[in-house]
Amino acid sequence: RIMPVRWSRYNPSYLEPEVKKESYQKPLEELTEEEREQMELKTVQPIKAAPPTLSSSVFSDPMISKFTNMMMKSGNKVLARSLMSQTLEAIKRKQLEKYHKAPENEKETIECNPYVIFHQALKNCQPIIGLSNITKGGKTYQVPVPLTDNRKRFLAMKWLITECRENKHRRTMMPEKLSQELLLAFNNEGPVIKRKHVLHKMAEANRAYAHFRWW
Amino acid sequence: QLDHGCALHTAVRDGLSSVSTQDVPAERPRAVFHTSESDPAKHTEQHEGRLYNIPLEEVKVVFPHGLPYRFQQQIKTFNEARVMVRRPALEILAYLKGSNFAHPAVRYVIYGERGTGKTMTLCHVVHYCSRQGWLVLHVPDAHLWVKNCKELLQSSYNKDRLDQPLQASVWLRNFKTSNERFLQEIKTQKKYMWGKQESTEEGRPLGEVVDQGLARVRSASDAMGVVLREIKQQSHRGSFRLLVAVDGVNALWGRTTLRREDKSPVSPEELTLVHNLRKMVRNDWSGGAIVTTLSQTGSLFKRSSAYTPLELLGKEGFDALDPFVPIPVANYSPREFESCYGYYLERKWLQHEKAHTEDGKAELQFLSGSNP
Repeated sequence: RIMPVRWSRYNPSYLEPEVKKESYQKPLEELTEEEREQMELKTVQPIKAAPPTLSSSVFSDPMISKFTNMMMKSGNKVLARSLMSQTLEAIKRKQLEKYHKAPENEKETIECNPYVIFHQALKNCQPIIGLSNITKGGKTYQVPVPLTDNRKRFLAMKWLITECRENKHRRTMMPEKLSQELLLAFNNEGPVIKRKHVLHKMAEANRAYAHFRWW
Repeated sequence: QLDHGCALHTAVRDGLSSVSTQDVPAERPRAVFHTSESDPAKHTEQHEGRLYNIPLEEVKVVFPHGLPYRFQQQIKTFNEARVMVRRPALEILAYLKGSNFAHPAVRYVIYGERGTGKTMTLCHVVHYCSRQGWLVLHVPDAHLWVKNCKELLQSSYNKDRLDQPLQASVWLRNFKTSNERFLQEIKTQKKYMWGKQESTEEGRPLGEVVDQGLARVRSASDAMGVVLREIKQQSHRGSFRLLVAVDGVNALWGRTTLRREDKSPVSPEELTLVHNLRKMVRNDWSGGAIVTTLSQTGSLFKRSSAYTPLELLGKEGFDALDPFVPIPVANYSPREFESCYGYYLERKWLQHEKAHTEDGKAELQFLSGSNP
């Protein structure tokens, strides 16, 4: 029996489900020819089942759902999602407290939106260049190599989560620690940013081996 | 609050808040949510759905221990305490204003589903009474007295009963902060002995009894019993009005999770605190009112979907509380939801960009089920 891990068992004639509400609300006349053909195809061809993570809510965000999936342990999505929402709430509370106590001129500089903070912190943590092990002539060298976007995002999220899981006092809760880390990363401080800089320095130091790369 | 997976923006418990505007509802629909009436005595049906502000110093004095945890977090975040005026609270206030204090105390029981605002209604009533100058006996949550108690002492006053010094001392401290001036005015009418050497003479102010209870933690529950008895006996004279506000009154009848050292279960009558509180809630005294709340969240051994008085109080409790005025509390009406939404927008609690749109609002209303 073969379990589908990276490929799917669907017949290729199945189409992807369309989740955005706006595309269904446009009246027929405004659509172009291709779009009209596509709509007709959808009425006839079978459609794949929508995965539970895909939602048509205005409040959903693909990065947040990826992050929650990475935080999940042994399939406990309910717990991971509640932790995520508690983290966002904690960030919002801390920023709002600062905002309401700050004098007028500083109020505009304080960023309160937890989604914006989350995205910016992730962007600040993404490394630009990575290292990979290449074996040549019996020895393995650490060669600096460009990373794809997906890999950068994955590394940033992975570093954040491992950092929160390991370097904390036994009694601090995950949302608290995560909110602290995200706020530090937002201001370009904190251990995750340090790890990114260490990686960059290693890559810079091993510049000489860059020509080992063949892709 | 009902849906754990979807706490997004509606995670904060909110009270009624009236923002200040002295204005005309028709002209500026946005700014209507707040009103400037900070005195609950003047709240009428016009103010329904609006939020009013309680200054922070008053909050510390009047509610040292009464507010729900979520509301306290909200006060900390927004730096202000705003409570919404809702119909059940207005009903109770109207009854209180019109009640005759020569008759025995009337009992009001606030009940409703989880998270609909029963505790906040109680706090609104407590605030009103403290503004009017009543003596407020506020028990924040009777469930704290029947579960998770670390120390149980055998009572010196009555051999069968068990004492809880920790909870009693905490309650006495909070009672002191909220009712300072009454403690000087009320005098004891009997001599009380605390153990072999210490005693309180007749005619000393109640403040001394409270201090005695705080200093000698072992006799704290007896001190509390004395305080309650004195207040009850003196309330019908009319020098002050008494409000007994109990949250989670269904804890007084039912079972406890506590056990004695020989692992035999304890029933509520054997706890001094519960016994004294039951005497207060019986309406054999006059000159005040009793306002209570049922609470499913802390209750023991009851189904989680139970919210009516009969189910939560059990037969014993229902008979004991028998002639009472039931007051149901429901989820937000559309108008209240609008005002709450407006308040959050104004206070920047709703941060997501899409939350400002119509779609976002409809979605929030659906997801939260208009539950405060």
